[in-house]
Amino acid sequence: MTLNLCVLTPNRTVWNSKVNEIILSTNSGQIGVLPNHASVATAVDIGILKIRLDGQWLTMALMGGFARIGNNEITVLVNDAEKGSDIDSQEAQQTLEIAEANFRKAEGKRQKIEANLALRRARTRVETINAIS
Amino acid sequence: MACSNLTMLVSSKPSLSDTSPLSFSSCLNPFQLSNHSSTVSTPSRSSSVTPVHCNLRELRDRISSVTNTQKITEAMKLVAAAKVRRAQEAVVNARPFSETLVEVLYSINEQLQTEDVDAPLTNVRPVKKVALVVVTGDRGLCGGFNNQIIKKAEQRIKELKSLNLEYTVISVGKKGNSYFLRRPYIPVDKFLEGGNLPTAKEAQAIADDVFSLFVSEEVDKVELLYTKFVSLVKSSPVIHTLLPLSPKGEICDINGTCVDAADDEFFRLTTKEGKLTVERDVVRTETIDFSPVLQFEQDPVQILDALLPLYLNSQILRSLQESLASELAARMTAMSSATDNAKELKKNYTQVYNRKRQAKITGEILEIVAGADALI
Repeated sequence: MTLNLCVLTPNRTVWNSKVNEIILSTNSGQIGVLPNHASVATAVDIGILKIRLDGQWLTMALMGGFARIGNNEITVLVNDAEKGSDIDSQEAQQTLEIAEANFRKAEGKRQKIEANLALRRARTRVETINAIS
Repeated sequence: MACSNLTMLVSSKPSLSDTSPLSFSSCLNPFQLSNHSSTVSTPSRSSSVTPVHCNLRELRDRISSVTNTQKITEAMKLVAAAKVRRAQEAVVNARPFSETLVEVLYSINEQLQTEDVDAPLTNVRPVKKVALVVVTGDRGLCGGFNNQIIKKAEQRIKELKSLNLEYTVISVGKKGNSYFLRRPYIPVDKFLEGGNLPTAKEAQAIADDVFSLFVSEEVDKVELLYTKFVSLVKSSPVIHTLLPLSPKGEICDINGTCVDAADDEFFRLTTKEGKLTVERDVVRTETIDFSPVLQFEQDPVQILDALLPLYLNSQILRSLQESLASELAARMTAMSSATDNAKELKKNYTQVYNRKRQAKITGEILEIVAGADALI
């Protein structure tokens, strides 16, 4: 039995094919999904999605969303998803530095919420690249 | 006899009365008017025949300028038509996401019916301050498109004022930005630019802003003003309540009637008998199947918490896409009528031009004949 993974963003379908195994960052920690997993609905945090495909691990940065697992079908709905191989490491590093600076400067409840979100997104992107190498 | 005839003829066409004898040199070649028109510096005599007051050379210049304008407007129309197609593609690309989202939301909702759910985005608070997200275009030359939505916003602001509610504006699109910048008395929270094709990034920027405004309790209600795409010739500015979301994930319009998410519409541009037409499909998303015993990894509240921002996002993205499609359609219509007008104008000018040229030749021949008569 193989597992079918479908990663959807509002713009496009990022991934729609068979995989061997995935590790998903959920709000309550990482979960690994192998074929014949029980039906589960879970919230997906801003974090890394690891995909095992023919013995190779691929990574993908997920920007928060939702996943549904059942019948060997995984549907991941996220705001944005980027494959680790598509991210420009220099650009990601710069964005992270800017986000960190913004976070330190943030004042007030609202700015903190915004800066925190931006920082977590930026960090995830950098981690996604580093997870490969 | 001949003389009196001549004067009569001349007086009936007053624009010719100051044709000087100099123009003899050019009488048979109306396209070389350089000497002539420089001497006749007073160009316009009120002519009873046409409302066009200028001499031949100016007429020619005007015709060529109208021709150029026509070319430009025609090109703009074609560009807009091509872009409408791309906008439509974007909508189609977003389909799988929104369909699955609605499906999931629906099935989870079913299971959550019995539980008491309280997610921050569904919090209904007494309204003190309202945020208005106004979606305008980035460019002009699209008829009344930008004006319509801005008028709608002004009207809504007036209503809020009369209800003694505070308000703030989040302006999306260059045209809206410049409008609100010129009116400092309207409090604007943020200026955002629309960009060429709305992507999830832009929607995310708006959603982030709206989200933090709402969660930090700075505003108690968020309304989205955008132009709904009805057809290529019709679009209507509408107001939707974005937040608070109803727990069912429904989006309500201003009167509180819910626009059902599952009742999703999407437009498709087709060609019918060589003309562009729009088909609008109402797609009733299938909300069945999928395993009925679904475990929740986290609290249902948390899951809803993860889903609703997604839903918010896709709603904003859709309204951006609709707005862009309306803008392009409006531009297409405006440019096509501009092209028609230019054609009409060109036709009129050409007619006047030919008439004047003919009259001038006639006048000059008469003068020669009269001169020859006088010599005898």
